[in-house]
Amino acid sequence: MSPLLRICEWLHELPLSTSIRESENAYSVIETVHVLGITAVLGTISVVDVRLLGGVLTQAPVARIARPLIRLTWCGFIVMFVSGALLFAAQAATLYSNAAFRIKLLLLALLALNVVAFHSTVFKSVEAWGSSPHSPARARFAAFVSLFLWSGVIASGRAIAYLNRH
Amino acid sequence: MTRAFLALLAVTALPVQAHHSFAAEFDANKPARIVGKITKIEWTNPHSYFYLDVTDSKGNVTNWACETGNPGALSRRGWKRGDIKLGDKLIVDGYLAKDGSHFIDARRVTLPDGRTVYGGSPGDGGPGDKPTGEKPTGEKPVGK
Repeated sequence: MSPLLRICEWLHELPLSTSIRESENAYSVIETVHVLGITAVLGTISVVDVRLLGGVLTQAPVARIARPLIRLTWCGFIVMFVSGALLFAAQAATLYSNAAFRIKLLLLALLALNVVAFHSTVFKSVEAWGSSPHSPARARFAAFVSLFLWSGVIASGRAIAYLNRH
Repeated sequence: MTRAFLALLAVTALPVQAHHSFAAEFDANKPARIVGKITKIEWTNPHSYFYLDVTDSKGNVTNWACETGNPGALSRRGWKRGDIKLGDKLIVDGYLAKDGSHFIDARRVTLPDGRTVYGGSPGDGGPGDKPTGEKPTGEKPVGK
């Protein structure tokens, strides 16, 4: 048996996981909190992405939009991550082999790479280009990749429930 | 181009529904009744499962998986987790899985004490499912 599956089974059987899995209300409450976290993350990120693509707030400098929003993004991320971890733990042993869940994790990993790549390169010189309504091609590419991958995360996340065989 | 991205986002955000629909797994044209003894109980989210050993007329025993709604939904209908235990006999009226496996969506379950409970997942769109607030159909007691 793969070590990863053994870890998932161990998580699945933890008292906390079991109590969420067998709860009358907690599971659906955590699901709702998870969606609220996603809303905060994707809501703020998409404003910045669409600004980079020249769609909204083109008169405002990119950094003026991105810097205050990033705090809200991180708050949403923490809510999304903690609630997501609890939902995963509650069903870890079945989610291990769920194709939609695997795709979702892969897309999230690619998103993390995209964030690191964007912030360590073109965003460093944002003061130089951020006031223009037209962003450099690399910034627009990062914005497109972000919106595309996030759409995939939402779609694959929804698909988990449809592929999960008990 | 930007509008296209926004439209894409809007579309992917839309299908927020109840956990998987009836039609995703089960066939409304294949109603069935099974009667058997409980071998396993999974009182879990987002769906609960129990397993029955069903003996056919030739004496062959087959283990069936039965799917019902989540613990909260069943509890609100009066079916509490302690109401069934291993070895209890259950009568399950439901619909068979599309893939032909020994898997049934338990729409109506007759408990050991004779009560009949609606077992469907809330909002799954399957037979007997009603909008929030309405009493599900199919809750009439099963004829003896």
